Amino acid sequence: MVEKTTQSAAPPAQNSGKWNVPTGRRTDEWSQALVSVGESQDRAAFTRFFRHFAPLIKAFALSGSSLSATHADELVQEVMLKVWQKAGGFNPEKAAASTWVYTIARNCRTDMFRRLQKFDTPLASDDFELESEEEESFIVLHTRRGSERVRELMGELPPDQAQILAKVYMEGKSHSEAAAELDLPLGTVKSRVRLAIQKLQALMEA
Amino acid sequence: MVKHHPPADFLTEYAAGVLPMAQSACVAAHLSYCQRCRHIVERLEDIGGAHFEQLDPQPVGDSMLDRVLARLDDPEPLRYARSEASDDRLPGLLDRLINGDYADLAWKRVTQSLSISYLKTGDLEHEFALYRIAEGGKIPEHTHGGSEMTLVLSGGFSDESGEYHPGDFIVREGWDKHTPVALEGEECICLAVLDAPLRFTRLRHRWLNPLIKLNAG
Ligand SMILES: [Zn+2]
Repeated sequence: MVEKTTQSAAPPAQNSGKWNVPTGRRTDEWSQALVSVGESQDRAAFTRFFRHFAPLIKAFALSGSSLSATHADELVQEVMLKVWQKAGGFNPEKAAASTWVYTIARNCRTDMFRRLQKFDTPLASDDFELESEEEESFIVLHTRRGSERVRELMGELPPDQAQILAKVYMEGKSHSEAAAELDLPLGTVKSRVRLAIQKLQALMEA
Repeated sequence: MVKHHPPADFLTEYAAGVLPMAQSACVAAHLSYCQRCRHIVERLEDIGGAHFEQLDPQPVGDSMLDRVLARLDDPEPLRYARSEASDDRLPGLLDRLINGDYADLAWKRVTQSLSISYLKTGDLEHEFALYRIAEGGKIPEHTHGGSEMTLVLSGGFSDESGEYHPGDFIVREGWDKHTPVALEGEECICLAVLDAPLRFTRLRHRWLNPLIKLNAG
C-alpha cells in the first residue's frame, strides 16, 4: 500500500462552474485516505480526511437552514465517526469518496430529522443499506465511467435544472417542497428533474 | 427477472433521501431484487456527491476534530441481525419490520381471499401493509384518492395492464381503477404503501378505503 506523505491537500474548489471528475488527482487522494483508514485504522489519513470533509458536511447540514448550528456540529461528529467505522466497506472501484461520504451524511441527516421530530420508528437509515454482493468487473468499470460522466453532466445542465437538483439533494427538499419554495407548479419541478435524469441516462448509455 | 420498476422521480427522491419513510422502504425493498435500479441509484447518488463536493465549506474547529478522535475507539453500535425464523429471500428491512414469520403477524381478513397486515414504520402519512391474496383470488375493483405503491414479495398477480412477479414494483396514481387477480398455483403476498389522506390519519388503524366499506356492507 502506498503511504501518502504529502499534506498538500488542495483547497476545495470554490468555483461552482468546475465539477470534479473522480479520475482527478485530488479526488483519488481521498479514496486513498479512506482505504488507509479502512485497512489500517490510519489516524493521520483520517485527520486529513476530516479536515477536508468535515467543513463540507457542516455546509451540507446547514444548507436548507433546517438544522441549528449545534445540531450541525453534532451531525459532523456523527458522520465522521461513521466514516471511521465504515471505511473498511469502501470500495474505490465502485464509488467516489465524495459520493460515499454524501450517502452517509444524507442518512445521518435523515435520522437526525426523525429524532428531532420524535418520529417513532423501528428503522434507522442503516437498515436501508443493501447487503453488498460481488459485482462483475465489467459492471464495476461501467460504474466508474458512469460516476465520472455524472460529474461532467452536472457542469452542462441548464441553471433551472441544476437549481432544483441542488434543492432536492443538498437542502433535502422533496419535489413538492421545492415547487412551493420556488413558487413553481409541481409538474414543472418534476419535468426539470426528469429532463436532467434523461440526459444522465443518455450519457450513461452512450 | 424484474420487469416493473419505480419511476425515475421516485428513484431520484430516494437517492436524495427525501422520500417519506414508508415509500422509501418500499423502494429499498425493490432494490434488493433489482440490479438495474441499484445501478441507477448509484448514479443518482453521484449527483449528490457532485453537489456535495462543491458546497461552500463551513469552518470546523480543531476542538471538534479532537472530540471525534477521542471517540474513535468507542464500541460501534450493535447492528441488527436477522431473526432465526426469517425468510432469506425477504429484503432485510422487511425482515426487520416483520420480525419473524408471516404467520406470526396479525392478519385482518377483508374478503374470502384477501387478508391485510399493517406494519408500523413510524410514517404517519402512509399506510404500510402486507396483502395476502389466496391463489386465483380477486381483489374487488377499487379506487382511492392518493398514490399506491405495490411490490410483489411472493406469488404474483395480474390486472388490466399486465402480470407481476416477485420484485415487480407498480405505482398507481389517483383514481385509476384496477382489479388485481392473484395468479394460480401460489398465494400472493404484496407490500402496499398508500397515501393516508389527512382526514383519515386519526383512524389510521381502520382502513377507510372504499374496499373495506364495500366489504363491511
Ligand atoms: Zn428496478
